[in-house]
Order: sequence, then C-alpha cells, then structure tokens
Amino acid sequence: MSAPQRWLAALVLGLVLAAPQARGEYGDVVLNRYADKAGVRPVVFPHWFHRLRFTCNVCHSEGGFKMRAGSNDITMGEIIDGKFCGMCHNNQIAWSAEFCHRCHTGRPGLAGGFYGSQDPSGPSGGGDFNQRRH
Amino acid sequence: MKKHKLIAAILLGLSLAPAASAQQFEKQAYDKACASCHNTGIGGAPKLGDPNDWRVPVAAGMARLYKSALEGTPKGMPAKGGLEGRNFTNSEIQAVVDFMVDKVKVALGATAGAAPGAAPAGAAQPLPPVAFNFNRLLKPMDKRNLPPSQDGIHDPANDGTLMLQPPMEGMADLTRSRFGNNTDWVASLQGKKVTPRWERDNPFAEAMVMDLDILRAPKAAVQDVVFPHKQHTEWLDCSNCHPAIFVPQKGANIISMPLILLGQKCGVCHGTVAFPVSECAKCHSQKKGASQAAAPPAQKATGKP
Repeated sequence: MSAPQRWLAALVLGLVLAAPQARGEYGDVVLNRYADKAGVRPVVFPHWFHRLRFTCNVCHSEGGFKMRAGSNDITMGEIIDGKFCGMCHNNQIAWSAEFCHRCHTGRPGLAGGFYGSQDPSGPSGGGDFNQRRH
Repeated sequence: MKKHKLIAAILLGLSLAPAASAQQFEKQAYDKACASCHNTGIGGAPKLGDPNDWRVPVAAGMARLYKSALEGTPKGMPAKGGLEGRNFTNSEIQAVVDFMVDKVKVALGATAGAAPGAAPAGAAQPLPPVAFNFNRLLKPMDKRNLPPSQDGIHDPANDGTLMLQPPMEGMADLTRSRFGNNTDWVASLQGKKVTPRWERDNPFAEAMVMDLDILRAPKAAVQDVVFPHKQHTEWLDCSNCHPAIFVPQKGANIISMPLILLGQKCGVCHGTVAFPVSECAKCHSQKKGASQAAAPPAQKATGKP
C-alpha cells in the first residue's frame, strides 16, 4: 500500500469512526415502515421501559405482537382502533395516540429494527444496520 | 473544602500509618465500587486476593492496570468500576487498584505494586494479547444506559424526547449485571425489585410458572445446557415459544449457536431483549455428562439436541 493510499484508508477509517453512532438502549426497536414517508419522526420502542411494568406475556401473547422486529404491520389507524400499542396507549392505561411526539422520538431517516442490542442479521433476523426490514 | 481535608488525611495516612490502616479509604472505595464483581469474580473479574487471577494483569504492568480501571475494558470492566466509582478521582481509582494488587503482591512477588509508570519485573516478557472481544456488536458498558437525548437514536430536537424516562433512572433499583440493560431482569423479578403485570387488565393475575429444567448435551466440548422453564414462564406465556419456535417434544428441536446468533431459536430473545449470547455460562451451566453420571433428578427431563 502506497503512502497516499494509507492516508486515504486512514481518512476513511477516521470518518467512519467519527460518524455519530446510533446506539440506543438494549432492546430498543426503531419503527419506521411508515413514519418517514408520512413526514413524522420514527418511533423508538423501549423494551426496558415496558418490561418494568408488564411481562412479555401482555404484549406478545395478549397483545398479539409477533416476536420479530419488522413482522408487525403497525399503523396509526390500528392503534387508534385499540390494536397493537393502542391496547394500552388509549388514555386509560397509558397516554393516548394524540401525544405523537412521545413515541415518535427517533432521528428522522433512522432505519427500523433493533438498535441497542446485538442485532440478529440472519435471513429472517430482525434486520441489521445495513439491511433493515422496515 | 471537606474533600481537600479528606484527601490530605488520606495522604497523611498513606505516608505515616502502616499499610493496613492507610488502606481504610481504599477498602471503602473498593467495597463501594468494585466488590460486587471483584469479590466473586463475576464475568471474569480478577478476584480480590486470588494470585492466579491477577498474575497476567499484574505482569502486563501497573500502567495498563490503571488504564483498564479508569477507562474500562471490552471484557466488561466498566470505566472507574461503573456508576458507583464515577465520582472518584483518577488518583483515587489508582489507589484502589494499588490496594487490590497489594492483596496479591506477596503471592506474586514483591515487584507487583511498583509505582505508576515503573517497569514491572515482567516487562521483558511480551504483553499478553488483549482478549478478543467476543462479539463486536456488544457495546462496552459505559456506552450503555445513556439518556434518550444522548443515545444516538432519539432526536434531541424533539420535545417528547426530553419527557422520556432515562434508563438509568428507571432501572436504578434493579439488580445490576454486566450484560444487556446492565440489569439482571430474572434476578430483579425474583427479588421483587420489579413487579410487572402478568395481564393487562387484571393486576392480581399471576403467571403459571412451570418448574421444569430441560437438559441438553451439545456435541461440542462445552458444558451442558440447562434450560429452566421456571425463569421463562415467569415472563412469558407457553404460546410465545411453543410450538412456533420450539416444538414441545423431546428430540424434535435442532438448536445450534449459529442459529441462535442469527436470531433463531433462543436467539429470538437472547441477543435482542434477553441477556446476550456472550454470557455463555448462564446457559451452559452444567458440567458435561454430569446428568449421566448421576441418576437425573425427578424434575429433570432430558432432550437430545
């Protein structure tokens, strides 16, 4: 490798390392199937916050959330109808869907999938940094 | 002012008193910030007073030990020992490192506690390689539990972001661990430090806990896996795992670490929301062949991989 090439490689590496890293808390899922297109921020769902208050059973068994990032087709219409997030986010158990900016908190343009966790990137994994599913 | 006096007192103590009493501060600091891991050796932390655990780190030199203590290591040592040690100054942390090394100094030979920067006797030997980080996607602990506005995925320009509870606040009272959210959820639940609802509408509903261990003997040279239904059924319904992920039949499930790393089988949760696969011994927890040597207990069912 010649000297200019080395410099270039170092520069690229530096840029990559210096780029702001999306970390998130372990178990954070970003949902951005529709948000960006609709002109709102993506949703960040924090698993840790919810499991402090509810067992997995409540959402993944009673609530019908499939346990795979990207496999739940969640729309605001369904939430307002009391499905998915709307089974609790209805102003009775938790804040209602009118408080947009409490859930739609993600950086615009963020791809969907797990962030804080070690992200399964296999064929049917939850998507990884390069290949998000939604 | 008080702090200055304290430091002055420590320095005075260090210079005058014999080692045992001068180490009062270090002992207290150790108990506060380090003991939870270094007393027991959790996660590979060198145990206090165990020369075998300390031989390699001490041979690598005090400068390197100080650096690991101050900045943390990829193996799991949090910077300054984590939250509890965050308020200690660098020199105080170094003093605690000296205190810990002192405990094994006699066993390792008198050179161990050399002054900072001084070349240890073992300097001629090549430094042991830094252990390869098991999974590059696992983030060092000091990079976790950031408040939403700093975690890189929440938009700090959004009003709602500032309303969200920071992870450190929400999970402050839970049992800490070195993996995942830095929280041991199973231990927290068992210790009633967290009381999540089992059903949405019924605060009195309780999980149907099934106490049945499943033993799996991998072909590879690793410890056998004991799968505890108990800890899983405290959080999950049977239908979360059966039959889609695991066929509820002995011998019917092919499970391998590659599958798990790809997010299948145990990897549906372990690595995303439950403790990650870096914690090998939490699943591979039984000595290989132990169940064949002795008759399996009544509560154990065995499943072939």
